[in-house]
Amino acid sequence: MQAKKKMSWTALLSILVILALAVTGCGGSGNKNTNTSPSSSSSPSSSPSSSGESSESASETPSSAPAEKVTLEFWANKFEPTTDAWFKKWVGEFNKSQENIEIKLTIVPGDAWDQKMKAAQAAGKAPDIRTLDYGKIANNAKLGAILPLNDLMDPTLFDDLYDNVKDFVTVGDKYYAYPKLVEPSTVLYYRKDLFKEAGLDPEKPPTTWAEVLEYGKKLTKKGVFGFSTAQNAGDLGWSSWGLQYNSAGHLPVTDDWSKADVMNDGYKALLNFYATAYQSGIMPKQQLSGYADATPFGQGKVAMIVSGSWAMGLFRNDFKDKLANIGVAPMATIDGDQTKPTATLGGWTLAIDGKSKHAQQAADFISYLLAGDPKIMIDFFKTSGFSKFSPRKSVDEAMKADPDASKDAFRNMVAEKIIPYSKAEPIYPWDISFAFSTAIESAMKGTSVDKALAKAEKDINDFITKSNLAGTNPK
Amino acid sequence: MKTQNTIPKIVLTAIAIFVTILALFPLLWVIIAGFKEKTEVLATPFRFFPEQWRVTNYTDILSDAVFQQAMLITFGGAIVFAALTLLVNASAAYAFARLEFRFKGAIWLYVIMTMFIPGMAILLTSFIVVTKMGMLDTMGVLILPGIASAGHMFFMRQFYLNIPQSLEEAALIDGAGRIKIFTGIFIPMSFPVFVIVGIGAYLGYWNSFVWPTMTVTNIDLVQIMQYLYTFRSERSSEMGMLMAGSALSALPTIILFLIFQKYIISGIKISGLK
Amino acid sequence: MKKNWSQDNLSAYVLLSPILILLTIFVVIPFFYAIRVSFYDWSFYQESTFVGFRNFYMVITDRLFGEAVMVGLKFALMVVPSTLILAFLFANIVKGLGSRMASFVKTSVYIPTIISGIVASVIFVFIFDYVGGLANYVIGLFGYEPKGWLADVSTALPSIVAPAIWLGFGLTALIMLAGLLDIPENYYEAADLEGAGAFAKMRYITIPLMRNIFLFLMVTGFTANISQFELSLVMTNGGPLSVTTTPNLYIFNHFRNDVMVGNSIAASLLLFLVLGSISAIIFKVLNSEKAVDG
Repeated sequence: MQAKKKMSWTALLSILVILALAVTGCGGSGNKNTNTSPSSSSSPSSSPSSSGESSESASETPSSAPAEKVTLEFWANKFEPTTDAWFKKWVGEFNKSQENIEIKLTIVPGDAWDQKMKAAQAAGKAPDIRTLDYGKIANNAKLGAILPLNDLMDPTLFDDLYDNVKDFVTVGDKYYAYPKLVEPSTVLYYRKDLFKEAGLDPEKPPTTWAEVLEYGKKLTKKGVFGFSTAQNAGDLGWSSWGLQYNSAGHLPVTDDWSKADVMNDGYKALLNFYATAYQSGIMPKQQLSGYADATPFGQGKVAMIVSGSWAMGLFRNDFKDKLANIGVAPMATIDGDQTKPTATLGGWTLAIDGKSKHAQQAADFISYLLAGDPKIMIDFFKTSGFSKFSPRKSVDEAMKADPDASKDAFRNMVAEKIIPYSKAEPIYPWDISFAFSTAIESAMKGTSVDKALAKAEKDINDFITKSNLAGTNPK
Repeated sequence: MKTQNTIPKIVLTAIAIFVTILALFPLLWVIIAGFKEKTEVLATPFRFFPEQWRVTNYTDILSDAVFQQAMLITFGGAIVFAALTLLVNASAAYAFARLEFRFKGAIWLYVIMTMFIPGMAILLTSFIVVTKMGMLDTMGVLILPGIASAGHMFFMRQFYLNIPQSLEEAALIDGAGRIKIFTGIFIPMSFPVFVIVGIGAYLGYWNSFVWPTMTVTNIDLVQIMQYLYTFRSERSSEMGMLMAGSALSALPTIILFLIFQKYIISGIKISGLK
Repeated sequence: MKKNWSQDNLSAYVLLSPILILLTIFVVIPFFYAIRVSFYDWSFYQESTFVGFRNFYMVITDRLFGEAVMVGLKFALMVVPSTLILAFLFANIVKGLGSRMASFVKTSVYIPTIISGIVASVIFVFIFDYVGGLANYVIGLFGYEPKGWLADVSTALPSIVAPAIWLGFGLTALIMLAGLLDIPENYYEAADLEGAGAFAKMRYITIPLMRNIFLFLMVTGFTANISQFELSLVMTNGGPLSVTTTPNLYIFNHFRNDVMVGNSIAASLLLFLVLGSISAIIFKVLNSEKAVDG
């Protein structure tokens, strides 16, 4: 009886599995167009998002435009509205400018990005072209998730890049992405009018952490917090890299990624700074917004805020009336030496998926958009309020001729006082950054500095051992 | 029991009303906050009512084409989803409750086993399956995967088990087929259990957001919770509109609930946990 | 019945085929696929390599996974008993009300149950806002300093427990009420004759007769709440530190961030063992009850 039951059970199971596979198979082949040949424009299902009108026109084209026309998927992260608009505008221009390539732009919300991308990659449906930040290039290259561009793009296009940025996109002896912009992740913004009210000199922003704490105390009053910066491990993970360099001269892991390197006075001072800022009441106890979003400063709820250079774009677009009172400075340092790094240069690039079937066409698009006519990129930097910086010499040259750009005080300050001392973003796995920023957050939330650092050291070392990280630094 | 040595009824009533208000308060607050200016939603000091009632948040979000589309398509999807859920699971429930057939035990085990598989474990692999089937960016990918549910089936089976055998015996003698008996006798009797399972299925569809986020990119198919989640992170300063959108997103469900509340509340009894 | 076998076979298979096909495609195949994947180092762009139990080992030895399981347990242990107690007291109150009032109250308290986790999170994030939130206003009335409810390690978890109770309270209370109403009134009358007080009646009649309902609600509440993740995803993103990272959020985060996804799938399968056994217990309890009844 028992055996018989078992028999029927397995037989049944296998029948069902076979049945399901058959169904799956049918479904798959019936929709082959969607999966394997995005270029085919004859099937309406290949462009599910296009409106009825365009799919109709598409179905007329096959005879006139032979099979060469390829459609490429392009996923761009959702950025500021100005950036989204710029992508849309120039993708449209590109599609009009030639007959062979159709770029299909999808703007993916930040919260959904990782999850959607991971799923798409798992299913072999990742977009041909994607936005990618500098920190992720090396790892993606190592895994084969993105393609080297050396043979796909004109090599002289890379000669146009500043040397440091060229290094950001290089892994081994190959270029794996083309940069769009650089932006220092750490800039200090302060309210000049509130400085005056508090009896501080509006032309003398704080230069040491001690001064930040002192000024913050003076600036804090009912309804206004004196100071604001990242305050959870997620944001601290990347926004504190510059200050990690600043305080200890290095990041919390050795260059060959073989072990943690956190037990030093610099990091102790760094954790103390964050902990004191948080506990002394000059910062809100619960963040008013994420680090990347400087809106509370624009709204006047905060007198000094640390955010990326992009925040200036927000102020210029959304808080025009407050601009006259906004002062900008490099973030204060551990000892007042303003030539020490305070920021890492974050920024975005475009890269081509490792499985793209139309890598050449994808590269042609990147050459057009990011490495082509400087006026395309100037249009971008202008609309973003000069809050981002060009990785290309030729674009900067061309901008010199542009009166708006050359006279822009904010742009000049960042270009002269912050960027030259900035560092590249680290390329080790996020777990390490997160372990260290967890230490910062623990210190803010009351754990003793030594204990927090000891835990970070252990977590980093554990991670290195478990994932066999030692000696795998690709650079 | 009536009055002696128990708390007076007036006190009970007062407590009940207080708890009711407490339960409804967050919802009332979000509806009212929808009438506030965006900077007023979190203004200090806290105020429950807006300084000035303005409908612009509601009119703005209602005139947002994506929001409209998301409400409509999600509502339509939820209704279809609920209808198919009832059909598929009730058929199976009837078969398990009333029919004898070969491999019954094995099939029962097979179906019930799926009840214990957590969604998170199969999130990615389900995605791969639907991708291979070419279902991304279709209504099918939103509706089909969740229809079959061992839990719902099980619940309906309990209901069918409690229907007296005598009802169908007459029909059997008249020579009616099993499927005819199901559609002709059981489905009409299923109204109370259908309301409960149907609303449950509707809610499951209406409130989901992880799956739509992964499988839908096309703006025309964006689901309402996906819309709100994105709105929250991307237009974080538009707090009044977010409040209005959240309130409106709950509205169709609340209306449906009020229409069917009699059956739902009495249905809770038939879920029979004696 | 036996004589109808062949006839029933056909009908049964027709009626069952939709559920079987759908479950096979969308649940069973992905499940076996997931099991397979959990033994591989799966990175999408390179050959997957078989790694045996390494993914499972990594998960079990990850301190954060253990912490996440603890967070899930703590969360469930805060939500379930408080919901049950509140709902039980409330159900007893409603039982004593006039029928008009009772039906109004029943409808009203049920409404939060149909609100989505996302909307509930949005509402409670505003309630717990540091500067303009209701919670800080209320404690301000009593002269307390504002608290960073969602940022303080000691208050963050309780702060996401609040919306969970809010969402679950209505349904729980109504199930309890249904159970209370099922207790024959003459039990209480008999007790009255013996001079039993309200407390004694509760102790010797109500609670024992409600035992199965308590059990059911405890077990379903526990499974539902230990797998909660929308609230912590939207309200705190697992922070501060990791005090609100529930097991499912842990898995979801790994799935989003890791280069290799085998890990997160292994984690979810491990969790499956725990949750699966709990669900199996519920099922067993329910099924035996019904089998007797039916």
